[in-house]
Amino acid sequence: MIEALALTKRFGTTLAVDELSFTVRPGQVTGFLGPNGAGKSTTMRMIVGLDRPTAGTATVNGRPYRDHAAPLRQVGALLEAKSVHKGRTARSHLLALAQTHGIPASRVDHVLAMVGLASAAGRRAGGFSLGMGQRLGIAAALLGDPAAVILDEPVNGLDPDGVLWVRNLLKGLAAEGRTVLVSSHLMSEMAVTAEHLVIIGRGRLLADTTVEELIARVAVGNVLVRTPHGTDLRDLLAHHAATVTAVEPGLLQVGGLSAEKIGDLALGGGLALHELTPRRASLEEAYMELTREAVEYR
Amino acid sequence: MTEKITFGRVVRSEWTKLRSLRSTWIILGATALLTIGLAGAIGRGEAMSVHGGEPAPSVADAVSAAFLPIDFFVLVIGVFGVLQMSGEYGTGLIRATLTAVPRRLPVLGAKALVQVAVTGPVMAMVSLASFLVCQAFLGDGGASLSDPGVPGAIVGAAACPVIMGLLGLGIGTMVRHTAGAITTLAAGLLIAPVLLGPVLPGDREDDIMKYVPTIAGQAMYSVDGGGGPFETLSPGASTAVLVGWAVLMLAGGAAVLRRRDA
Repeated sequence: MIEALALTKRFGTTLAVDELSFTVRPGQVTGFLGPNGAGKSTTMRMIVGLDRPTAGTATVNGRPYRDHAAPLRQVGALLEAKSVHKGRTARSHLLALAQTHGIPASRVDHVLAMVGLASAAGRRAGGFSLGMGQRLGIAAALLGDPAAVILDEPVNGLDPDGVLWVRNLLKGLAAEGRTVLVSSHLMSEMAVTAEHLVIIGRGRLLADTTVEELIARVAVGNVLVRTPHGTDLRDLLAHHAATVTAVEPGLLQVGGLSAEKIGDLALGGGLALHELTPRRASLEEAYMELTREAVEYR
Repeated sequence: MTEKITFGRVVRSEWTKLRSLRSTWIILGATALLTIGLAGAIGRGEAMSVHGGEPAPSVADAVSAAFLPIDFFVLVIGVFGVLQMSGEYGTGLIRATLTAVPRRLPVLGAKALVQVAVTGPVMAMVSLASFLVCQAFLGDGGASLSDPGVPGAIVGAAACPVIMGLLGLGIGTMVRHTAGAITTLAAGLLIAPVLLGPVLPGDREDDIMKYVPTIAGQAMYSVDGGGGPFETLSPGASTAVLVGWAVLMLAGGAAVLRRRDA
């Protein structure tokens, strides 16, 4: 469990994170979303103690990260950009991190195999591709067999196989009862990976909800209606405060009214309907709707 | 064995980091070979001068000739110390390091310890070998291990670069950026002594120059503290001065490491 309580970070005159409070629960993948510069990375860095909050607290399983006797057992973190010395081999890099906690070398080999780098263990990290570097970062995050993982843009630079692998890895970690917080710009990826969402804009919390709820609440779903009486139906629905756009002759896209209501109104007006299809908004549309203001005012 | 952070484990981790970089062994190996080689070349040159009719050098001069290359390699070991920390910031490794050890200060302590454990034996060997090689060329005209002040100078020639390495580590931790930290180190060690002389009024010069790191360092590996262009403290007092500088820089580094965002 990761908890942020009125977490605030100010860089000079810029308020990067503004009294942000949220809870990341174990057993599910929580997506951490927001436009560029919303404060996602800064928040993640504050959780693991790399940045000091200006005000507020971030705790991991009830305590500040730095107060744990074995922090790598609590949280494994993959933060943006590479954090590896180019001249060191993948194995030496992980071994040095493991040794701070007395984690055995066998665990290093185990996580290298887990991320598919077993054959590259003896190669220097400077020669790694973006994707391999990302896998090494994930290996480092898993080193302590942590109760929680925090991953900033983990699929960055990965090929489709790698993206699928990360998705399954995250779901697997959550299914084992771990806390998983993952940021991404790829809404389609979040839609299939995350169950819960924490969305921030300009350092403030915009939503702390499930994917389903967010789409239901924010996104204006719409209904496709096919009818031979396009003009009549449009006038009728417009009277009931619906937004109607003609997609093509005889096909209307109706917002603001449910499919049931549209059907009832058409029946009352004596207008035949040939198709009545509710369209659910995508996570991307819901996200865009929610963050539009946060982006505009930057 | 439960998995948690202990200082001993952080030391082990830093030892793994240090030994797993090729550059560690290249810098130390090249320093050793060049220092000893140059000491030999200087001894040979001196011997030829003596052969050509010049008077044999005094014990103090023979010792300072042997350790002339140390003047330069002190700077190399200082840069080596800078890189131990600034290299972590440059590559981003510092994020992984401080996530593993979020209390941070043990990292600096472990780096200092490991660095001394590696540079100490290397420089002890380099110092003794430099002396012996140089004196071998000088033959009877050279100094010997039994001359008064010589063992102390050999220890000083080994200790001075080691302490300079710690001073560099402190600067690297404070400044973080490799280029900036090396510039700071070079300015402090090379430029300050040159500029400070003319800036200071003549009567104050002798009082102050002996506390400059470079001057104090050179006094550590002289027989009697003399021989240079400035008045110096005794080798023992000079050691205390240089240690003081290193402690000051490390303390500054510790304060920055603890307080600032990584």
